Amino acid sequence: MKKKKIFVIILLTWSLIPFIWQIYTSFSTPDSLLEPFFSLKHKWTIQNYLQVIQADPPFFRYLLNSFIVGVLSTILTLVFAIPASYSLSKAPKSIATTTKLFLLTSSLFPYVLLFLSLLEIARSLNLGNSLVALSIPYSALSMPLALLLLSTSFSDLPIDIDEAAKIEGLDIWQRLRLVLLPLIKPSIASTAIIIFLFSWNEYPIALTWISKPNLITLPVAVARIAGSSIYSVPYGAYAAATVLGAIPLIIIVLVFQKQIISGLTQGAVKG
Amino acid sequence: MTLQLINISRRVKRNWIIRNLNLEVGDGECIALLGPSGCGKSSTLRIIAGLDKPTEGQLLINGKLVNNISPVDRRVGMVFQSYALFPHLSVAQNLSLGLKVRGDSLTKQKEKVSSILSIMQLDEYSERLPIQLSGGQRQRVALARALLRDPYVYLLDEPMSNLDAQLREELRPELRRLILSGDQPVVYVTHDQHEAMAMANRIAVLNNGTLEQIGTPEELYKKPSSLFVARFIGRPQINILRSSTNIIKAIRPEDIQIKAEGIRCRLLQKEWLGINQLIYLESPKGHIKVICDSRKSFSDSIYVDWDESNEHHFDAYTNKRLN
Repeated sequence: MKKKKIFVIILLTWSLIPFIWQIYTSFSTPDSLLEPFFSLKHKWTIQNYLQVIQADPPFFRYLLNSFIVGVLSTILTLVFAIPASYSLSKAPKSIATTTKLFLLTSSLFPYVLLFLSLLEIARSLNLGNSLVALSIPYSALSMPLALLLLSTSFSDLPIDIDEAAKIEGLDIWQRLRLVLLPLIKPSIASTAIIIFLFSWNEYPIALTWISKPNLITLPVAVARIAGSSIYSVPYGAYAAATVLGAIPLIIIVLVFQKQIISGLTQGAVKG
Repeated sequence: MTLQLINISRRVKRNWIIRNLNLEVGDGECIALLGPSGCGKSSTLRIIAGLDKPTEGQLLINGKLVNNISPVDRRVGMVFQSYALFPHLSVAQNLSLGLKVRGDSLTKQKEKVSSILSIMQLDEYSERLPIQLSGGQRQRVALARALLRDPYVYLLDEPMSNLDAQLREELRPELRRLILSGDQPVVYVTHDQHEAMAMANRIAVLNNGTLEQIGTPEELYKKPSSLFVARFIGRPQINILRSSTNIIKAIRPEDIQIKAEGIRCRLLQKEWLGINQLIYLESPKGHIKVICDSRKSFSDSIYVDWDESNEHHFDAYTNKRLN
């Protein structure tokens, strides 16, 4: 028991220290960060936050942009991934295995290599500077993983339940809506979070597709803050921006904590 | 209402799961599909339900060809071996879901659900989730769902195999009252010959995807058409006698009498069963089992005899009945 506790404490420290450091930095004056024994009187400040919030456009604009893209790409992905993964779970084994192999390969592909060609597509189809358009590549890039996760949880459902619903007279959409989706809710929740997280953190595509200052997403905005001056790095403001950017994610994860955990452990328990 | 299977076959890759199956179930008749696991009985049920497609043959419900009608519209009531209740819905919701999608009004749904709940004596469980019910209660919910489907055909897939022996006995009259009293044909899949004999008007014995014999329980018991059927129907199992010719002779344990003289046997074991006792003997014709009065006591050597007209004769190569 005691050993376990120590292990947990080490793990927590390991994963929380960077975040705590970031919070600490965000509340420190720039000078105090550079000098080890700075007088405590001038050490603490909320100036960094004010600077970030009062900038033009205000920081919340970026949060909102990222949130819009995140929600859109999550919905877009799930709308296609749910029916597709259902049929994948029902496909003959040889087809399903081959498809999953392709999906796995493409989910492992480093997507950064795609961003130039994606940029070409955006240019020729006039998809630049639109948050809606940005959710299309996000959704496409999240699709393989979403399909793999959801088709696994569809296959984990006992086949009898789907068949009983068929015999009861439920057509395919009724079965999905009334029987199957409620049963795989945990894995839908965890898949949605993974998509949202990807979209929230994505940088190269957002950087190249969006150039209007009031449309840029969080990672691009944070990078702009970090590189806003040639002579110094505004550590404090940068830290404040990352803290603000992490808050919505923390809230989401806390709210859906139960579903995420049961979704992630589902396959493991049932085998 | 009737159900007809005409030359139904199903092949999966290279294996024939069912081969040229012909079956006719009449108005209100209950047919048990009996056989060892893997004999094709569940596949037959799935074909009737529309969950699997037959490779060849025709399936008729009420004289109408239904091969191409999806299970959604086929209107069969099925009780799954696992019961297949919807785990996220309460008992009442499990029962009303089908009514809802089939277009009943809310008041009508409530009416039907509460009446079936009281028939099934499940009133107090209507708000429970399936996981909070016992096996017998789940089985009743599954049965209620099939009844509410108002089907043309009832399909029961090993409906009692997950229940303990006592509960099975209690549920049998209930099942008979609820499902077998209607005018729908019933197809009852089981691997338990005892259950098949108790429930069905006729029994179809399946072996390796083909129909071995179909008939009333009495016909199957008295005149099994093959050695396979003879071994499958009747417990304790029929005695196969050692034979030097091409004829296999078999005699049921209950047809053997213990006499003062006859074939001399050595007593190996006995099982005292209350109403009677089962004794295991070593005879010149091999090991045999005999059912006899439970009050009898024995010495080590016993003389037995039987009426030759009670013997069942089978061909040693085809295993078909000869007498």
